[in-house]
Amino acid sequence: MRKFVVVFVCCILFFCGCADSVHESVSDISGAQSNNVSLHTAELFAMDTYMTLKAYCADDNPLNSAQAIIESLEKELSVTSSDSDISRLNNAQGEEIVLNYDCAELIKNALDLCERTSGALDITIYPILREWGFTTGDYKIPVPENIRSLLTNVNYSAVSAAENSVQLPSGYMIDLGAVAKGYTSDKIISMFKESGITSAIISLGGNVHTLGSKPDGSAWKIALTDPNLPQTYIGNLEIVDKAVITSGSYERYFTGDDGTRYCHIISPFDGHPINNGIASVTVIGDSGVLCDALSTALFVMGKEAAVEHWRKHCDFEMIIITDGGKVFVTEGIHNSFSLSRVYEKSKLEVIYR
Amino acid sequence: MKKHFVLIIICAAVFIAAAVSSVVMLNAPAGDIVKIKSNGELLYTIDLSNSPDRTIIVEYNGKENTLEIKDHKIRVLEADCPDKVCVNTGWLDSPAIPIICLPNKLIIEFENNDADAAAR
Repeated sequence: MRKFVVVFVCCILFFCGCADSVHESVSDISGAQSNNVSLHTAELFAMDTYMTLKAYCADDNPLNSAQAIIESLEKELSVTSSDSDISRLNNAQGEEIVLNYDCAELIKNALDLCERTSGALDITIYPILREWGFTTGDYKIPVPENIRSLLTNVNYSAVSAAENSVQLPSGYMIDLGAVAKGYTSDKIISMFKESGITSAIISLGGNVHTLGSKPDGSAWKIALTDPNLPQTYIGNLEIVDKAVITSGSYERYFTGDDGTRYCHIISPFDGHPINNGIASVTVIGDSGVLCDALSTALFVMGKEAAVEHWRKHCDFEMIIITDGGKVFVTEGIHNSFSLSRVYEKSKLEVIYR
Repeated sequence: MKKHFVLIIICAAVFIAAAVSSVVMLNAPAGDIVKIKSNGELLYTIDLSNSPDRTIIVEYNGKENTLEIKDHKIRVLEADCPDKVCVNTGWLDSPAIPIICLPNKLIIEFENNDADAAAR
């Protein structure tokens, strides 16, 4: 009789073990921590996107701090709200403006990245972006004279930044849209680290940044959107402690009266939407702000120049997908990248140093 | 002896029932559970595979999104929002792309996602 009870209980226990628990609880993941940590999540709408934050920690405090970081940066950096630092700067008509720490810091950071990419990233492109209607959704193909005259006010090197003040020449406007989310994720990840968190993943509107690995030690799995068929994944990236940021022509575009598709990534050199055969650029690296800036800049540069840039600098890896569906993956990341089953392996090419 | 026999039968029955239900549960189509969230708050978790056709109205700040469930699929049918991105997204058909209405802070997405995040 007792034997059967044991077998019976074993059966039940066995199948209970099959049930999947959503609320993972992990204790002593780092060995150094004595209190239990569990998965805490938050979702919010900010910076014109949908954001998700997941961290393995003891309570909700780190997530609340992360939301506070996002809100305060949004207030400083928004180009559309009239009382932001950026709006004050854009309306200063040549006056020097004293800015909050983060805004000044990010502008200086971004100017370095404009320099590094020889102007392929240019934070003064805003007036042209506006002329094409990408800031309002009221799209139009501008007349060539307008682009020509607005281009005279596009040149990042005319921006002068001192300690905590910045001066724009009159008629210039800046927009930190190409770097703001990367900077924000850097701030959140470093705050998480300071709070003792060793495992977290955040997505700021598809800009992904991870801290450490998953609590079980395995890598985070990041799905990459197929730019030519945005409702599907083209493959998966397995990463630890990295930011993964994509710029794609599929994100925002319009079809003009001439039947041409115009994307929101605009060349600072000629003022026209980029049309160079690239459908998306994904940059993988330690720094969110670098990955964010490069994903735009490498898109603008085109494939050859992007590869050259990668060979010259050792601080990032990239995946370039062309309009024709070819996937170029740099050497350092190709072992972590796998194409989805339906995609042909022949379409993948590894770029070596 | 008879008692033993009955116990064996009970054990076997429990084992088989548990085995069958485990297989059914573990093989349930991963992409059929849909979550509907308004401003970060989970309003509905719906299993599309056995949900009848119906419409759901989600209100946020006096603005409404009308969701339609039909033939085990879900979409935003109508929305009080300026850009109608949510309506134009059409039927939810991939875990890669949730239906998002930014103005009304509405998210409709599949629950099961084999990746931890999607880069886009």
